[in-house]
Amino acid sequence: MLVPSMKKFLITSLCVFFCLLRCAQAADPIFETDIKPVLSRQCGKCHSGKVRKGNLDLSSMKSIRRGGESGEALIDKLSESYLWAMIDGGEMPPDGEPQLSKPEVKLLRRWLETGAASKTPTALEETAITQHDVYPIVLLRCTTCHGPRLKRGGLDLRTKSSMLAGGKSGPALLPGDPNNSLMIQRIETEACPPREQLLKYFIRRPPATEVKTLRKWIEDGAREDEIQPDIAGTTPDPLVTDEDRQHWAFQRPKAASADSSIDAYITAKLKANGLSLSPTADRDTLIRRAYLDLTGIPPTVDEWQEWHNLAAAHWYSRMIDHLLASPRYGERWGRHWLDLAGYADSEGGVSSDPIRKVAWKYRDYVIRSFNKDKPYDQFLIEQIAGDELIDHANADTITNEMVDNLVATGFLRMGIDQTGSRTMNFVPERLGVINDAITVLGSGVMGLTLECARCHSHKYDAIPQRDYYRFKAIFQGALDEHDWLTFKKRALELDTLERRRQVAKTNPPLKAEIKKLDGKRKQAITDLRLELLRQHYPEQSDDDRSATLKALRIADNNRSQPQRILVEKLQTVEVIPDEQQPDSVVEARRSLRAIEDQILKLERRLAAPLTIRAVWDRGEPSPTYILRRGEHDKPSRLVGPGVPSVLTDGRTPFNAKPPFPDGTPKTGRRLAFARWLTSGEHPLTARVMVNRVWYHHFGTGLVKTLENFGRQGELPSHPELLDWLAIQFVNDGWSMKQLHRRIMLSQTYRQSSRVSESANERDSQARLLSHMPLRRMDAESLRDSLLYVADQLDLTPGGPPDRVDVSLNGLVSAKPTESGRWRRSIYLQYRRTAIPTMMEAFDYPEMGPNCLTRSVSTVSPQSLMLMNDGRIRNLAASLAGRVIKLAGNDERQRVETVYKMALSRLPTDAERTLSLRALNEFKQQWQGDSKAALVTYCHTILNSAAFIYVD
Amino acid sequence: MIAQTERNRRDFFARTRDGVLGVALAQLLHDDFFPGQAFGEEQTQREQFDLRAKQPHHPAKATSVIHLFMNGGPSQMDLFDPKPVLDRMDGKPYPGNIEEIGNTGTNDIGVMMGTRYPFARHGESGMWMADVLPHTSQMADDLCLINSMRTDHPNHDNALYKIQSGRLFMGYPTFGAWTVYGLGSENQNLPAYVVLNDPLGPPKNGTRNWTSGFLPPLFQGTRLRPTGLPILNLKPQFEQPSAVTESARELLGKLDKLHRRDRPFYPELDARIESYGLAARMQLSAGEALDLNRESRSTQKMYGIGEQWTDSYGKRCLLARRLVERGVRFVQIFLEEQPWDSHADLAANHRGACLRTDKPVAALLQDLKERGLLDSTLVIWGGEFGRTPTTQRSANGYSGRDHNMQAFTSWMAGGGIKGGTTYGTTDDFGHKATENPVSVHDFHATILHLLGLDHQHLFFERSGLEERLTGFEPPRVVSEICA
Repeated sequence: MLVPSMKKFLITSLCVFFCLLRCAQAADPIFETDIKPVLSRQCGKCHSGKVRKGNLDLSSMKSIRRGGESGEALIDKLSESYLWAMIDGGEMPPDGEPQLSKPEVKLLRRWLETGAASKTPTALEETAITQHDVYPIVLLRCTTCHGPRLKRGGLDLRTKSSMLAGGKSGPALLPGDPNNSLMIQRIETEACPPREQLLKYFIRRPPATEVKTLRKWIEDGAREDEIQPDIAGTTPDPLVTDEDRQHWAFQRPKAASADSSIDAYITAKLKANGLSLSPTADRDTLIRRAYLDLTGIPPTVDEWQEWHNLAAAHWYSRMIDHLLASPRYGERWGRHWLDLAGYADSEGGVSSDPIRKVAWKYRDYVIRSFNKDKPYDQFLIEQIAGDELIDHANADTITNEMVDNLVATGFLRMGIDQTGSRTMNFVPERLGVINDAITVLGSGVMGLTLECARCHSHKYDAIPQRDYYRFKAIFQGALDEHDWLTFKKRALELDTLERRRQVAKTNPPLKAEIKKLDGKRKQAITDLRLELLRQHYPEQSDDDRSATLKALRIADNNRSQPQRILVEKLQTVEVIPDEQQPDSVVEARRSLRAIEDQILKLERRLAAPLTIRAVWDRGEPSPTYILRRGEHDKPSRLVGPGVPSVLTDGRTPFNAKPPFPDGTPKTGRRLAFARWLTSGEHPLTARVMVNRVWYHHFGTGLVKTLENFGRQGELPSHPELLDWLAIQFVNDGWSMKQLHRRIMLSQTYRQSSRVSESANERDSQARLLSHMPLRRMDAESLRDSLLYVADQLDLTPGGPPDRVDVSLNGLVSAKPTESGRWRRSIYLQYRRTAIPTMMEAFDYPEMGPNCLTRSVSTVSPQSLMLMNDGRIRNLAASLAGRVIKLAGNDERQRVETVYKMALSRLPTDAERTLSLRALNEFKQQWQGDSKAALVTYCHTILNSAAFIYVD
Repeated sequence: MIAQTERNRRDFFARTRDGVLGVALAQLLHDDFFPGQAFGEEQTQREQFDLRAKQPHHPAKATSVIHLFMNGGPSQMDLFDPKPVLDRMDGKPYPGNIEEIGNTGTNDIGVMMGTRYPFARHGESGMWMADVLPHTSQMADDLCLINSMRTDHPNHDNALYKIQSGRLFMGYPTFGAWTVYGLGSENQNLPAYVVLNDPLGPPKNGTRNWTSGFLPPLFQGTRLRPTGLPILNLKPQFEQPSAVTESARELLGKLDKLHRRDRPFYPELDARIESYGLAARMQLSAGEALDLNRESRSTQKMYGIGEQWTDSYGKRCLLARRLVERGVRFVQIFLEEQPWDSHADLAANHRGACLRTDKPVAALLQDLKERGLLDSTLVIWGGEFGRTPTTQRSANGYSGRDHNMQAFTSWMAGGGIKGGTTYGTTDDFGHKATENPVSVHDFHATILHLLGLDHQHLFFERSGLEERLTGFEPPRVVSEICA
């Protein structure tokens, strides 16, 4: 027993000894003989002359010295060597690839430690400084005043020739003579950028390294090389291989026979798993399911009755057609799209969270598009490049179509945008806004996590950093960090003649009236404050009271201590609720509210402003550089526009042409991108969208990770079905409504939601669709349904969002309309910092920057809200009132009517018995008040699982 | 092919994200519906989140945190970091390039301003503190002053995001959220992460100061409402005889059970049924924990409760102790808007802010100590940045200081902190951190370290990226201040 292990020990010891001996004696490793074979064997697959992942080539000393996209791979100290950091940290070779052996790692370490010797000495190439080392600096520091918009002193610094041409004071540079070059003098004496304008134009002074680069460039004669931007060419792409393109989602959907069907694919897979479809759900279940799914509200009793009794064989398809034609459909499915786009009614970013005044126009555009069944390809093209479709600036008349196209581009403006703030409009913040737009497009439309490649090549997918910046260049004509428009200025005043006339006629008198009332409002606020002080601090002097009002006009952090104390005294009594206030205060509050209501009323009558929150190409994009590690002041290679190489054959250039050669100059880059995206042959566009629609119908996508079809995403549960649906979708002219029909008419969709024993064993997640999964209503459906069954839903569509009230203790609730009722949830104001409490409680998401799948929580605050909130109670009372009108005094009739109204069915016998008994009990406990008993009963039904869950 | 997994309890728990009761609910359901099975034995492909207490990465020095957030930016050179050179230059112009002051603009910069209050050494450690902190200074030997804090933005909004979430922008989880994500909570009947607001109003940036960002909402701070019921909808907001409420609850239970009976294998239906009982338990727990009348008169007095200036803050400090005592993991106390932001009248304004907070803060430390809780509670005091050595123009002339991101003071005490320590130094003007600078990432990494969490191992995967509180570049745990 002992012998073999002893032997092993001895051998190991000997080996160690031998190694030590050998290491101590061995000569320092040399690249050509010792290192190159290791690197080419272990790393060559991805980092060779032909394939350069991360733009790194490890095949020669020269290319190693040059490094990759993250900078130099080899720096003389081990601790600073990026190559060593990647190897030592276990990052490289990546998981799943053959790893370096221990001796190999040791060898590499020793090579690096001993100075990375090679036979032919290769010092780091001293690369000449060219114009493309200088332009990025000039763009960051100078061109705001000396560029496309402003030419201070007659000077434009964007190109070498314009630098030489100079301005009023002469040429900006003298090649070979930095000391006498004006631009160097101005920068070094800090005359430029001027101190008092740093913040005004959001410029930071160039650091010494940048000044050194400028100097060196001029000293060496201001070299200008012919450097073409890096764009896709006709030769194979060294950064992305054909193997990378083999990933299933990057291949075109595979055509199958057109006469296949959803059910065929689903049943085949079920059968293979020993399962089958569940029986068809009963008619009432199908009615409720379809209504909530397509419109987000249940049927009225009459509608329910009609479908329930319709004898025709095609009652179901007729119902689906009826629902798809309802304007409620766009409000429901438009909301899903708004999640994807990251819709919000405020800019976010800063604590003041300014309101996005006309974001709602985009919301209405989306709803309209869904209702019109606008083909999805057109819908995308308008949102991505609506401004490049028609030359509105040279149009004789402005049409609705032009307006719509421009409103649609609001899609690219949905992320958080703090650049309108006084201090948050520097280049990094602008890059953040652009990145959000890219993230929304990538995750929502392309199913790709493109944003991961912003700082370094994508860790899992073959998206080199270069491709992120090529992609960014597509937007450079409109969203240019060096020629930026803040959200305040990025707006067009444009509309049809009719609308312009309407605004000119309607608004001025209303605005005058509002202004007058606003004066009254201010007075009422003052009156209220004074009354609060008089009532709560009778001893306070009049001087102190007026000093308090004066202090309130000063920003809180600029107040003196006595002023702070005065204000605090007022605040202390301001937070006291009405019930504990003297009558005069309550009265003063009431008159203030009355004036505010009047103002609101008038504001509602205002014609919508002509403003459009759009994105438009301005025809003069600044050059796009790859930013090393994503840092705004670490520019590297110049790139041109392009789409991710892995989605192309790698040999086809991206072709953007100005769309209006004789009209307004525009790059046409986004239009070219949108056309490529919707060509019908794109591997992702149709798949990603049918998958989203599937998700909304069934609760899970065929690909579960809706936002990620890349290698880290989940594989589709039914790949052939996904492809078949995608192809049908395109063949159906990208019709959304046809897609709904296809899905909803399937037997798969019509199944019951009951889970059998065997289904529970083998398909508990319903990924195989052995049953229809039960689902909780989302926040919008729940709120809208509650209001609807209580007849408190105002179905007025569109227009500015309904404002919200924020109560003293933080509760956010929507204001009712003039009808005294509330509008559908999609029409509420979604300010990032004041999301309506009920929506938040039922999982309305934080848009960061968008939301691809909503989480569904089952938590006690939801139950507490439905049980205890006074407004829910009022809705129950309102429902009870409707029931009494219809059913009279008969308790049995009442119970049935409640079921019909709230649940679109009749109660079962057991439910009826329980209900009647409870109604009787309630009545006794309410001392014979049968109306009160019915209110309690209705409230209970609105809390029930039968109401909140959809079968 | 997709993995076939059983519909199991854990899937349901994964969807049960209850900021208050998720886990209690989970355990209850487990007991009720899955008798005889060990809790959480199967593996599932779906990631699950809950608030059960979790094992730290390494032994923890502190098990809970009270963060006394001093919004607005307290002045380091007027409270903790005396600067004789600055005092001597009082009234003289700034001796360098005023762009170095490091603020957004340069237009309103005035002259150098010396310390506004007399300083003295305190405790055995001889820690410097100004006379406007007469109570805190008595606890000097328990405190560790970090005089070399610095941050990355001179705006409140961004500096607030930074100090709370480690990022300059909106949408990232706060370090409170990361803490409960990493450690869960000891008490499932109270929120894990509690925010105590000033009744006069929210701080600047509002609810963003305790957001869970991209982490599940389960981990966000729960604000106890300062007026009315502390937790929303804890009681009916309408008149109804309690007998009716009882009967209605009974009817609901029966109807839902009928509904469930017809729909086996849907655990979410079970969850709904049970959530009502749990709501009742929560009502009891919260009521007891929040009732300050259960404290002795002398304890209340010690916190300054009942006194004009200290009553409000004192109550919140005492509440914080009661919560921590009951196993709440993370408590944050805020002041209204930004009381320390003294652009004007600094001498009086800072004196006022001290008057409100100094006594309650010292009482909290003393009280925790007496109850043996200070050893396991990390108390953190500080704001989002400091103040400039120069004055700034305001409505009241030149009487206050502007924001300073290059140096400020925070202090820590309790769990795992080396008391009586003054760490790091600033230049002669208190303007820039010089020796041992502590970045916000370092600060967060140190807090996590004391809580037994390794900042590198605490991450959340989002779109294929590992997100961390402390960002990509590794920060430094300031081990010199740890006991």
